[in-house]
Amino acid sequence: MDRKPLIQRKTGISYKTEEKTVLRGFDVRELANAGYTFIDGLYILFQGRIPAENERAMLDYEVAEFLEHSMSPSAAAAIGVMNGHPMLPAAVGASIATFGGAHGPGAQHGYMMKKYLDRAVLEHKTVEQVAVECVDEYMDAGRAVMGMGQPQHLDGDPRAEPTHLKQEEIGVVGVYLKFQRALEKRFYARRFAEGRSYVAVNMIGAGNTALSDMGFSPNAAWTIGCVTRGYSCSCHALFTLKKGRAWGASRNEPMVQMLDLSMIKYIGPEDREVPLQSEREAYAMNELKTGEFKKWVI
Amino acid sequence: MGDLKDIAVNRMTGKVCDERIATMKHAKRRVIGNLGNPNLLFDYTNREIGTLPDDNRAHFKWVSEVAYKNIHRIVTRGYDTTELVEAGYGVCDVLFIDFQARIPLVEEKKVLDYILLVGLEDGLSNPALVARLVARGKSYLTQAAGASVFAFGEAYGAFKNFGYMLEKYYNKIAEEGLSAADAAALCVKECYHEDHFGIDSKYVKDPTPKDLMAYAEKALAGKKELKYIPFLKEVVKAAQAEIGYVEADFMAAATAAMMDLDFTPDAAWCIMGVTRAFSAGAHVCEEIERECEREGFDTYGKTLTPKEWYDGPTDRPVPSLAERGEFKGGQAQTPEEWKKMWDRKAKELSGSGFAIDFVLDDARKVVHGKKK
Repeated sequence: MDRKPLIQRKTGISYKTEEKTVLRGFDVRELANAGYTFIDGLYILFQGRIPAENERAMLDYEVAEFLEHSMSPSAAAAIGVMNGHPMLPAAVGASIATFGGAHGPGAQHGYMMKKYLDRAVLEHKTVEQVAVECVDEYMDAGRAVMGMGQPQHLDGDPRAEPTHLKQEEIGVVGVYLKFQRALEKRFYARRFAEGRSYVAVNMIGAGNTALSDMGFSPNAAWTIGCVTRGYSCSCHALFTLKKGRAWGASRNEPMVQMLDLSMIKYIGPEDREVPLQSEREAYAMNELKTGEFKKWVI
Repeated sequence: MGDLKDIAVNRMTGKVCDERIATMKHAKRRVIGNLGNPNLLFDYTNREIGTLPDDNRAHFKWVSEVAYKNIHRIVTRGYDTTELVEAGYGVCDVLFIDFQARIPLVEEKKVLDYILLVGLEDGLSNPALVARLVARGKSYLTQAAGASVFAFGEAYGAFKNFGYMLEKYYNKIAEEGLSAADAAALCVKECYHEDHFGIDSKYVKDPTPKDLMAYAEKALAGKKELKYIPFLKEVVKAAQAEIGYVEADFMAAATAAMMDLDFTPDAAWCIMGVTRAFSAGAHVCEEIERECEREGFDTYGKTLTPKEWYDGPTDRPVPSLAERGEFKGGQAQTPEEWKKMWDRKAKELSGSGFAIDFVLDDARKVVHGKKK
């Protein structure tokens, strides 16, 4: 059997021989035999260390609670893709790929915290001081403060505050939770003072804070969050595959389906005659000259 | 609202966030873990159960200004697509219609056709490799070809970033009164080190980008005024003066030409990514067809990684779970301690993500990674 690697490069993550697979120095078989868990494996993968027991428990808590979130962009993507009946991984991959600037922006939240913690070090400020500066600078600039607000859970994501409490309960508290707590306090106070509606902490604000205090980098935390959600999205895809109607447009279902023709609302150019090829050049030139099309260009 | 006040009021605002809660059932639950904590924002022990009732708003619609369909018609930007093809319009025409809501000049269509043709294949570059790797798991061809599009980013196939860069500096001619040469020189000065700059030595021996621009200029001469190809040439000239012998690469030339066809940089990015996915499909086919040259598909756990390539922590014994109790956690308590930990991990542990810096320009946009 040709087991040669496909590309040749150095790696500090792992090596694999015919005898064993070694992750950050640990033989994974030995880890499993010694009683370590998948959650421990995530620490070893991204941090090269075995976590303390309370850190393992915190990550287990967070991964378990983050796994399922019903109808969010990632689940919608999985369901939408699965309607075409490709292989399941296509739907699962698409769901993971929905995570970006709006849905689960974990890395952005992480780097926002880093930016202000860097400032605390450089300018000899307290964590609380830089958290206040963060809120003020973002809000003054009219920018969204990362980690705050969720369009479905208007009273705050039900997982968020318990995650903060869990961090405190099991003693996985570091500068990040201190920063996040101070940020939330300032954020609420400013919005209240400005007469603006209540916007609560979301699961990025809570979960990513916890992941950061667990020692994960912003990108590692983002990976853990997004890929974890891939599990539940695969469930939504499977449900669609096994119990739903392919295409999502059947007229035989009791409820109007997501791709039923009646669900389409068109707001583009009015219906128009297709010009003959003999008319084309003059027609096209006229379109270019009037420039009407420009309002539709995307 | 009598009972509702006790169970659905947000403890911070003193308000009920959505009146529909009033019509719902509530379920009293035992206190579990921290969920009886009075500092939580609402009462976790008596939350409403079931899905939120419908409100009086119109039901969901898929809103689009691009296309609609009914039982007998599919319409893009106002044109019936069956009538379009029956009238002799082709794929490049429909790309103009979809992305720009207009029928292109024949010459514009030809220029787009040229770009798509030369952009179709690029050998064993990233999209093809991604597709081949996915295919080696014996996935569907669509899965592998689709994955190839994921290879397009802000360095590889950076049509979007390059386009917006070109537009930014071109606009300085009108907005700041710069000459084209000065705007181009500024572009070189400020952007030369960007991954999406698109002008380097890659194509000094390959005339494809030059030919593409020449074809577009000739085809569109007298039909419409070109802005971006001439400006790209100015940028190349400025880059040559500053750096030495460099040329526009295919990505740069194609983006400039597509912008002269009135496509946005975003549209160019999408179109070129999908165009390349066709060839990724061919790479996938070949990977499957030539399976016999490599002993079958790749199975989970088959591929070895030689120890000589590994430069992570040295092999070490796994501690017992009892020993684990002595381990300390990784939480920093002060900014200084945090900084020290971050820098150490960035230096010592590749793959941890700590050595990647991010440009945090707009929190609502997807973040962009940059290696330090």
